[in-house]
Amino acid sequence: MTHKFRFGVQVSGLPGENWRDQARQLEDLGYSTLYMPDHFIDTRLAPMPAIAIAAAHTTTLRVGALVFDNDYKHPAILAKEMATIDELTDGRTELGIGAGWMKTDYEALGLPYDSAGVRIARLDEALQVIKGCWADGPFGFEGTHYQITDYDAQPKPVQKPRIPILIGGGGPKVLRLAGREADIIGINPNLRAGAVTADAAASASQAETIKKVGWIREGAGDRFDQIELQIRYFLCAITDDAMGFATAVAPGFDSTPEEVLGSGAALLGTIPEMIDQLLARRESWGVTNIVVGGDNFVDFAPVVAKLAGT
Amino acid sequence: MHDRKFRFGVIVPKVGSATEFTEIARQAEALGYTTLYVPDHFVDHPLAPIPALAAAAAVTTTLRVGPLVLGNDYKHPVVLAREAATIDLLSDGRLELGIGAGWMTADYEKAGMVLDRPGVRIARLAEAIAILKGLFADGPFSFEGEHYQVTELDGQPKPVQRPHPPFVIGGGGPKVLALAAREAQIVGINANLRSGDGNSSDAASSLTSARTDEKLQWLRDAAGSHFDDLEIQTLVGFVHFTDDRAGMADAMAASFGVPPADALLAPVTLVGNESQIVELLETRRERWHMSYTVVPHESMAQLAPIVARLSGT
Repeated sequence: MTHKFRFGVQVSGLPGENWRDQARQLEDLGYSTLYMPDHFIDTRLAPMPAIAIAAAHTTTLRVGALVFDNDYKHPAILAKEMATIDELTDGRTELGIGAGWMKTDYEALGLPYDSAGVRIARLDEALQVIKGCWADGPFGFEGTHYQITDYDAQPKPVQKPRIPILIGGGGPKVLRLAGREADIIGINPNLRAGAVTADAAASASQAETIKKVGWIREGAGDRFDQIELQIRYFLCAITDDAMGFATAVAPGFDSTPEEVLGSGAALLGTIPEMIDQLLARRESWGVTNIVVGGDNFVDFAPVVAKLAGT
Repeated sequence: MHDRKFRFGVIVPKVGSATEFTEIARQAEALGYTTLYVPDHFVDHPLAPIPALAAAAAVTTTLRVGPLVLGNDYKHPVVLAREAATIDLLSDGRLELGIGAGWMTADYEKAGMVLDRPGVRIARLAEAIAILKGLFADGPFSFEGEHYQVTELDGQPKPVQRPHPPFVIGGGGPKVLALAAREAQIVGINANLRSGDGNSSDAASSLTSARTDEKLQWLRDAAGSHFDDLEIQTLVGFVHFTDDRAGMADAMAASFGVPPADALLAPVTLVGNESQIVELLETRRERWHMSYTVVPHESMAQLAPIVARLSGT
């Protein structure tokens, strides 16, 4: 089954921007979802209250984090907060959640930065807790990291069977977990280095992207066709000289211009070229949920107008 | 120095729909209530305060919003600081930040959190408040505590209210009230909840007038001359309009285990006809300086004439 295209914008809420107007503008331009990052360094608004406010000022826009770091908050609280927004927006939320990766955040908060395996295992448990909170009736959970006793969490989400769960990742462990558990899966660079490095850029190559889809498929089994695949295009530029642009930025990523153009983290070209590329990538990778940044969502809107819902 | 003028808030633990929540917030604003509060528990209190307060602020223009109160143990103070400041920023400075040490045993049991003894929870709350204030202040902040460590973090965003949104701290025991005297701008005088159960006889029996006198004395002793700057708040759980006040007083007295006169004065109830309720509020303000009364949102329309009559006086 081929999913229809939909589009999101990842915005931080920066000084000088009017949050309410920005949310309404996204909605008016045809974007499906407003996503916020969840970091403590170099970002501004806290995602949970800010998405609640963005949703209160709009009528159809979906809201979520891209993504909540599981280690910042107990999953029962995250589940309750998201269900509250879901209730107060008549079902317009998406729960983006990740294992956590940005070392500087952990240092600032004084939280232990456990090995990737431990963080992913904790995310796995958190997903069971969150799903338990959202399901009908009381539940219990005996995990290594979380214990829940006879808890009937309230409110339940409006969306059934649950708020769509969005998990992003770049490595096999997270993507298999996402394949098993998530409704929307973000195909990301691999951030095992704890920061955005040349290693992360190389991990977004065409060949690596195909590998990542394979890991998702392994985790998903029969439910693969129900999963919506997402890419957040960190490198997204409207230009009539895509090769020139790629040549200019390639050294910064330790890559060739051809590798940049083919990268699963880059979308470069004219509006018609971008449309063709997104259609081709839907064919080859199955990616239909496209996310751009707050700096270029206005220029990118013609792509949304052409492809959204098709 | 606080002017001790009356003001009123409503508390909303749950709603049936998105529309209902918006209506409650707008009605509270229209009826002259200054503040909408949302409690913070895992059990019997469906709304999660942070997103609900954000939504309430978004659909109103002057209404203040606040958690009453956040359980400090449920969230890391660095996470909370950023969320609180975001609400304050996006509401143009309408947040009242209620925070407590955590007390409801059921919350901790259900969510698998460790319920430390009160002294530890209160010490942790004191550290959390220092972190919140540090992150709300300008520039980077570090903190080396027993429970939390923060390294060179410049909290963003900064709240609009400077130096920080008013803190609401409530309690019924000497330690928490001493902390409130030191750190809060608004102090809630509550039942003593050391039992971990708000409906326990221990909590109820701490509501006599003599025990309330004692709580005010603890607060006064801890605050010194600063006592006059504090706004004193009460959270009313039971509102009942009746012309048979004596009959209700007897019934409440039996259920609380306190004398009937004390049951009426207990700052968690409002019982009587309109003029009797006005008189109760005036008595509580005279005797205990309580000028800020929070009521269940179900009673807000019924109490509106009293709110209109007393607010700002």
